[in-house]
Amino acid sequence: MFKIAVEMLMHDKTKFLGLLIGVAFTAFLVTFAMGYFAGFMTRGFALVSENSSAKVWVMDPAVSSAEATINMSDSSLDSVRGVAGVEYATPLYLGDVTARYANGHFQSFQTIGVDDATLSGSPQPANLLHIPNSVIIDSGGTEGKLQTPLSKKDVWSYDGSHLQAPTRELRYGDVMLINSKRVVVAGVSHTIPRFPPRPLLYTTTSNFKRLIAGEKRYITFIMVRPVKNITPKELAKRISQKTHLKAITSDDFKKETVMWFMINSEDVGDMVNMVVLAMLVGFGVTGVMLYMFTYENLKQYAVLKAMGASAKQLGDMIFTQVFISAVVGSGIGIGIASLLAQIISSPTFPFRMMWFAPLIGFFGVIIVSMTAAFISLRPIKNMEPAIVFKL
Amino acid sequence: MSKIIASCKDIIKTFNSGEAEVKALQGITLDVYENELLMLVGPSGCGKTTFVSVLSGLLSFNSGVCKLMGENISAMNDDELTTFRGKNIGFVFQAFNLLPSLSAIENVALPLTVASRKRAEILTLASEMLEAVGLSGKEDVKPSGLSGGEQQKVAIARALVHNPKFIICDEPTSSLDHKSGEIVMELLQKIIKEKGASMIVVTHDNRIYKYADRIVHMEDGKIIKVAS
Ligand SMILES: Nc1ncnc2c1ncn2[C@@H]1O[C@H](COP(=O)(O)OP(=O)(O)OP(=O)(O)O)[C@@H](O)[C@H]1O
Ligand SMILES: [Mg+2]
Repeated sequence: MFKIAVEMLMHDKTKFLGLLIGVAFTAFLVTFAMGYFAGFMTRGFALVSENSSAKVWVMDPAVSSAEATINMSDSSLDSVRGVAGVEYATPLYLGDVTARYANGHFQSFQTIGVDDATLSGSPQPANLLHIPNSVIIDSGGTEGKLQTPLSKKDVWSYDGSHLQAPTRELRYGDVMLINSKRVVVAGVSHTIPRFPPRPLLYTTTSNFKRLIAGEKRYITFIMVRPVKNITPKELAKRISQKTHLKAITSDDFKKETVMWFMINSEDVGDMVNMVVLAMLVGFGVTGVMLYMFTYENLKQYAVLKAMGASAKQLGDMIFTQVFISAVVGSGIGIGIASLLAQIISSPTFPFRMMWFAPLIGFFGVIIVSMTAAFISLRPIKNMEPAIVFKL
Repeated sequence: MSKIIASCKDIIKTFNSGEAEVKALQGITLDVYENELLMLVGPSGCGKTTFVSVLSGLLSFNSGVCKLMGENISAMNDDELTTFRGKNIGFVFQAFNLLPSLSAIENVALPLTVASRKRAEILTLASEMLEAVGLSGKEDVKPSGLSGGEQQKVAIARALVHNPKFIICDEPTSSLDHKSGEIVMELLQKIIKEKGASMIVVTHDNRIYKYADRIVHMEDGKIIKVAS
């Protein structure tokens, strides 16, 4: 009976191919959408991923995302350092600045101030930041935003802006103005792109305070590494209790950030809606196609029933056919999604194939297919076997 | 007097199609004997197909009693009836109803496959049967590669391969030219006489009446004449 089911399935090559394409499309859509979504989300907590040695993050109790922040007082650093179990604690200063380029254009940057002494949190080679007034810049997932004039005559020209002048990428030695203060590009890094994308500017704490003067509170995060015999979770709890600041492990912080995006970001909400819609449409199409396939073969099932095939035998045939289509189809779909992911994944196109994306794609298709198979059992059960006599 | 293989008493069957009610069978009483070839004739729409559908347990009916090999088919549930039919009844249809995806021999083997018989046994019986209908050499040909007459021969082989007691043919020659029709009828007659089965042949084709042991005439859902 297994063989009969398989031959029935593959007999009409076009129909079978159509079925496979339908299933593959759904699996592709689901896997790809999830990968795309995961890509965005991992970029949402890029700052946390970038500082992987910081197992505990300390912040203002009101902060619940790496994206939306408010600063703490400078004394908080000493409080945290005073907690037993802290191997080291380094501050991270976040702020927004607008830089003036040599041709008169301007560009906003997220500025990340790192500890002067350790430079922890800076891209490598971090010691470039020891050059006075230096910054390391990063496209942060944007394109074409880090530009300076190509020719000397358009640079800080005495006759004002040269906005139309041809440009090139910023590089070592180029100069920008931030709040009328001169900064030198000491390097261009390529860290994890951000979501939403934005150019980044890394510098030392002292330079940070020079560029953004007059604030009362500067420290956004304190990155903590626990000593050997305490888990990040325990230390986080201890820091919270001792300092009345919020301290959580980096893993929890990533999760919180993703949650925050889900709830607060309109972009993400739209994206989730689209993904869900795509899944539903794909699932619907797959289900209907599988159902149609069985329905079109109804007379053949009636013939089999007339010859003594039991309801169970016919049901097994349908499940065999649906299962084969589902496995082969989703295999193709997931394969294409992974392949495409390799090809198109780029700083501007976030894509991250998490281990669960193909699994959800696969099981989603299997569940839908099995549901379709169950629904297909109905016409088989209700069919009048006497249709075998009809022409 | 030979043994009764199928017996129907006062069978009434009505179809409800939309608002109209069609009285397809209006009290049919008929016995079919062992080893006979019975023909069922009558104008289109008189209820011939409906009757053989009831008689083979493929169609439920409103009232009356139908017994096959002494068993009351109304008393069986769907699964029991299906198994019973698989074991005891063979079918030949006007439209052949071969499975297009299966080769000739696989089609012939269907009743055995469905009954989960052993593979080797299935193969021997099916190829013997295919040979008996004169189609050896065409084992692996799909129905689309066979002529109408050949397809009907495959269907006949399929109807007989499991040695059923009762064979039902609904217009077996209507889709065939005269010569193929004659060949098919001769084949059917020969094989059932050899195997000692009974057969009902529904037909419009008066040129094949000569093969009948008895001819039952129907009109408007009733039997109006039985001729020997
Ligand atoms: N499934 C059905 N639903 C409704 N009415 C039906 C159904 N099957 C048959 N009928 C009606 O029952 C009557 C008998 O039909 P049946 O098919 O038994 O006739 P028949 O003698 O086999 O005709 P033909 O020689 O054309 O094959 C007809 O009036 C037909 O329209
Ligand atoms: Mg008919």
